[in-house]
Amino acid sequence: MADQLSILEQVDATMSNVLADWNIYTTVFAGILAAFALYSLVSSKDPDVHPFLLARQSTASPIRRSGESATYRSLETPYGFPLRSGLNVKDPGQPKYTAGRRGDLRDIWKAAVRGYLNPDGSPSGKQGKIFTALGRNAVQHSLSQVTQEINVVGQKLQKSGAKTVAVCLTDSVELLASIFAGAFYGFKTIIVPHNLPADTLCAHLQKCKADALIAEAGSLDLSLVARGNKQLELVLWVAKEGNRHMDWHDVPTEVKGTLKTSVWHELVEEYKDLAGLDVPEYDPTTPAPAVNTVWPSSDPSGEFIDFKAENLVAAIAALGSALPRDQRFTPSDLVLSIDSLSRSYPLLQIMNALYSNASIALNSVAGEKVDFALATLGVSPTVIIASSRTMSDYHERVMKPHTGPVSSLGRWVQARTLDAGNMPSKNIFSQIARVGPTSELSLDNLRLLCISHRVDAEPAVRLTSEQLTELRIFTDARIVYALTGPGIAGAIAQTNVFDYRCLTGPSHFGAPLSSTELTLTDVSESEASNDNLEGQITVSGPAVVDGKTTLSARARITIDNTLELC
Amino acid sequence: MSIASPINLILLSLFVVLVYYHFRPKQPVTLPRGPPPVVFRTYTPKTLIEFNGENDRPVYLAVRGRVFDVSPGRNFYGPGGPYENFAGRDASRGLAHQSFDVEMLTQDLSAPLDDLKDLDEDQLENLQSWEERFSEKYLVVGKLVAEGDPEAPKS
Repeated sequence: MADQLSILEQVDATMSNVLADWNIYTTVFAGILAAFALYSLVSSKDPDVHPFLLARQSTASPIRRSGESATYRSLETPYGFPLRSGLNVKDPGQPKYTAGRRGDLRDIWKAAVRGYLNPDGSPSGKQGKIFTALGRNAVQHSLSQVTQEINVVGQKLQKSGAKTVAVCLTDSVELLASIFAGAFYGFKTIIVPHNLPADTLCAHLQKCKADALIAEAGSLDLSLVARGNKQLELVLWVAKEGNRHMDWHDVPTEVKGTLKTSVWHELVEEYKDLAGLDVPEYDPTTPAPAVNTVWPSSDPSGEFIDFKAENLVAAIAALGSALPRDQRFTPSDLVLSIDSLSRSYPLLQIMNALYSNASIALNSVAGEKVDFALATLGVSPTVIIASSRTMSDYHERVMKPHTGPVSSLGRWVQARTLDAGNMPSKNIFSQIARVGPTSELSLDNLRLLCISHRVDAEPAVRLTSEQLTELRIFTDARIVYALTGPGIAGAIAQTNVFDYRCLTGPSHFGAPLSSTELTLTDVSESEASNDNLEGQITVSGPAVVDGKTTLSARARITIDNTLELC
Repeated sequence: MSIASPINLILLSLFVVLVYYHFRPKQPVTLPRGPPPVVFRTYTPKTLIEFNGENDRPVYLAVRGRVFDVSPGRNFYGPGGPYENFAGRDASRGLAHQSFDVEMLTQDLSAPLDDLKDLDEDQLENLQSWEERFSEKYLVVGKLVAEGDPEAPKS
């Protein structure tokens, strides 16, 4: 008893001794401590997504074939459920409970022109806009103007009897209008990348048997193209603002009589009153024509990918639904593509934006390798679609060398927030993190970066997990990183927009989209029971041309059920 | 008045601990991998009969050439269950006849598969509805071919 008392007494004495030293410094320390504890408490938030959803991002089938892995699918469409095959378009007047149509490109343009719907389903009459970025300026086009161009050009091509139209343009309103004109007026559109050497273009036109060509005035030598392409009947020139005064009707003597030329803006000027501003009437039960793109391959002329309308809508719907509800494109978004629309991922993301009534911005310099800072100059987008090459190039060339000690400190603090599963908000640390690396950018409204990686691009441009983290911090935007392949509309797989985990090495590509399923084939049976089995990527589903394709690239499925290239 | 008094040191170390807990690197959550997928195989009546649920083996049964893993319904299809005769066998005829007797099974395991040609319309409908129910509930883990079929695995 006496012992206990003495211990208590001792503790009491020590306490009073310690507290006796309380002075002004102690008050300051205690203040800082209390402030920090309070900050820590107030600033702690639930992560943006439940960590278990990132720990297993796709579902595996319970059965597999010998020599293959299990089949992996998006969490939206697990094993046993049908894959997403369309936009689920519900025509006005249809009862609410009926299943919607798959839809096609025509429905997308119709939805864009209709404008976004109020929550009660009545049209608000507010449309998205289309901008063309020209250096520091942006030109605005209204959707009804573009509808008019679709009608004029579509009617012209329909009258001339064209069945296959090759479009060789830089990213522009005319390119979009040509694609939609094809959908409404029933001709197949071949999107040929621009800036190709004349003989490659010639080979392309021969291969796809194009009977009409839409190209930029002055960008190619007509006599060369016409000589190799006897089937070509009509060339439609798109003249830029600066050279519209020239006469583009000149035809080389050897094809005079068989080849006709027209000029886009003259045609629109001449027939615009006849064509009208309304979206053409169409029968949704008739199939929309195909859209072909060219996939760069070892073969110099490239590989034609014959996307059916079904492939395109399945991919557009899947790209839309892959984003969580609060991250989807909305009418207040401005979506800028700095990747060429001749590639399916940027094209379909832009279609997704149009279908969501977002505004879009196009840039004529867009391509797989562009200067990120220059290409984003004219507009202030909320969403940017870029290629992995552009981003890795910008990271290597500008961001990394300009990260000083101050930026590094800010980056470190923000990286802790990302680690905790939260997107850092704009604060003092985000300001100091951005001091060096992105000072030349004016991307104040940016919220989302959609980056796509070609499966056969060189491994050097594959982004690492750390690069993605830095891009998130320095641009203040969330990122989705997608893997694209020949024969697959949209993407094979795409990362979760809330997946901020910074792992080591090259980043994974997330889970398959809801319109595709993924199997690794050519797996040796001895390895198949192994956790890290690797094999060839085989993709099937409604977004895949002919339903199924096997790529030459090898990949593995990581512990969190995401796809990683070998 | 000293800055290095015990109470100041205590507060300082408390502060350091708090800062560490706030900024410490957090490991991403990992979940264990699910069960490994079952390999789709081609069975013959002789290899299928091993999967009759005895000694804790899975229970398989075949309907019109498709092998279903009915282990989740072990109480019905496994040993001692009302349909135990079907375990490890081709159950097509029995299901079509709504009969669970041994007579419904092809006794000779080397014989060709039952072609079910003599079934009438009602029985085929019956079989169809069983098959649909199985496909909804159970996993198809393989296909059944007759002994000696070119597709049959070489033993």
